Amino acid sequence: MLAAAWIIARKDLAVELRTRSAFLSVLVFTLLALATFFFAWDATSVASIDLAPGVLWVTFTFAGMLGLHRSFGSEAQDRAIDGLLIAPVEREAIYLGKAIANLVFVGAVLVVALPALAILYNLPLAQTVVGLAPVALLAAIGLVSVGTLFSSMAVNTRLAELLLPMLSLPFFVPIVMASSQISARLLAGRPMSEAMPWLKILIAFDLVFVVACTIAFPYTLEE
Amino acid sequence: MTVPAPARAFRAPLFDWFFLLAVAAVGGTLVRILAFTPFEASQGAAQKIYYIHVPAALSAYLALGILAVASVMFLWLRDPRADRLAVSAAEVGLLFTTLVITTGPLWAKPIWGTWWSWDMRLNLTMFLWFLTAAYLVLRGAIDDEAMRARFSAVLGVLAALLIPFIHLSVYLFRTMHPEPIVLQPGRPRLPAEMLTTWSMGVLAFAFLCIALIRARYRLPDGRDA
Amino acid sequence: MPDNYGFFIAAYVIAGVLIGGYVASLWWRSRR
Repeated sequence: MLAAAWIIARKDLAVELRTRSAFLSVLVFTLLALATFFFAWDATSVASIDLAPGVLWVTFTFAGMLGLHRSFGSEAQDRAIDGLLIAPVEREAIYLGKAIANLVFVGAVLVVALPALAILYNLPLAQTVVGLAPVALLAAIGLVSVGTLFSSMAVNTRLAELLLPMLSLPFFVPIVMASSQISARLLAGRPMSEAMPWLKILIAFDLVFVVACTIAFPYTLEE
Repeated sequence: MTVPAPARAFRAPLFDWFFLLAVAAVGGTLVRILAFTPFEASQGAAQKIYYIHVPAALSAYLALGILAVASVMFLWLRDPRADRLAVSAAEVGLLFTTLVITTGPLWAKPIWGTWWSWDMRLNLTMFLWFLTAAYLVLRGAIDDEAMRARFSAVLGVLAALLIPFIHLSVYLFRTMHPEPIVLQPGRPRLPAEMLTTWSMGVLAFAFLCIALIRARYRLPDGRDA
Repeated sequence: MPDNYGFFIAAYVIAGVLIGGYVASLWWRSRR
């Protein structure tokens, strides 16, 4: 099943590499949002290190949603999804493949976004990128697991991409809260023990929703 | 040859004795709240909001619990009745969560001095409201009946899994909500008269909640949501 | 005792309107 998932992920990534349209637009959106947020606060009264974690994870969530819609939006055109459905692979493999591709996509955005955040918000560069990378990975897994499933559901509705934020944002709330709280403590140089409860929530969220969404995904395809 | 006329589907009345009984229970509780329950000395009239706020919250949990169970049942048994129960519970759940988040601030403003305190129970109810609203919007956006039932059941189950995470996250933010006074073993600090009124409120609202779900469930089939 | 009848009345009126509104919507949908 993992082999099949990997083939599907490679297919999606190959399409993305050829066109690069979604990646560039999501990347520019991310940088734009990071910059815009900075002007929405009084820089003389709020330290940028206090702003940065919240800005990063809110931006990341919205950027992720833009990218996730593409995941099944592209399959809806000309009903390309039918090709996947008649392929001799389990439906769980389709979900995992899509999710892996989305994870790579979102991860690539973060690889640029983290240093950009450090530079724009004047944070210690190495500490920010290295320290936040594991948090970013955990947050990305949670976001992608739920988002991939809802993307598959949303494209089949009359509202399509309008529905995706409404469905997925409540699910992203624990991710945004946990990631922001962990990042804030990491950046402030607080002991890791303070962030532990949040870290546990984030890890548990990933475990529960990767499993639950893999099981639930076939129900969003049938017929 | 006579072709039997298509049987007119039997339609159970929406508002029958069960519903009237629930309305009577709520009405009776209302009379007791207004006329036979003393004012609390330090909080005044606003304290009486509590007699509908807490029962509404418990009823909302009841309705949304039914929604979660019905969603699981649908995915398991594929019985359209489970789907119908789920949408009935969702509508009534949205009604009661709306009640909770509108009556809550009306109590909080005079007592806490702020409409919305970002307290953990407030946040939890707010997200229950968002999830229930999303559930009904999702249903409204799908024309195919079978697909609507499957998708909404998936959302119902995932939302049920999400609740513990939201609960934990908002819990880690400090809370200032009054601790439940009634459900403390040993010493209920609420005076007996008020406790009776409160208990009547809980029962009457639970009754109303079930009666509304039942009435919604009996709505003729067709395009819902 | 604080004077906050306004909040009390508002809460009960809103509750009545919401519940009454939902019952009315059930009734309305049932006669289509």
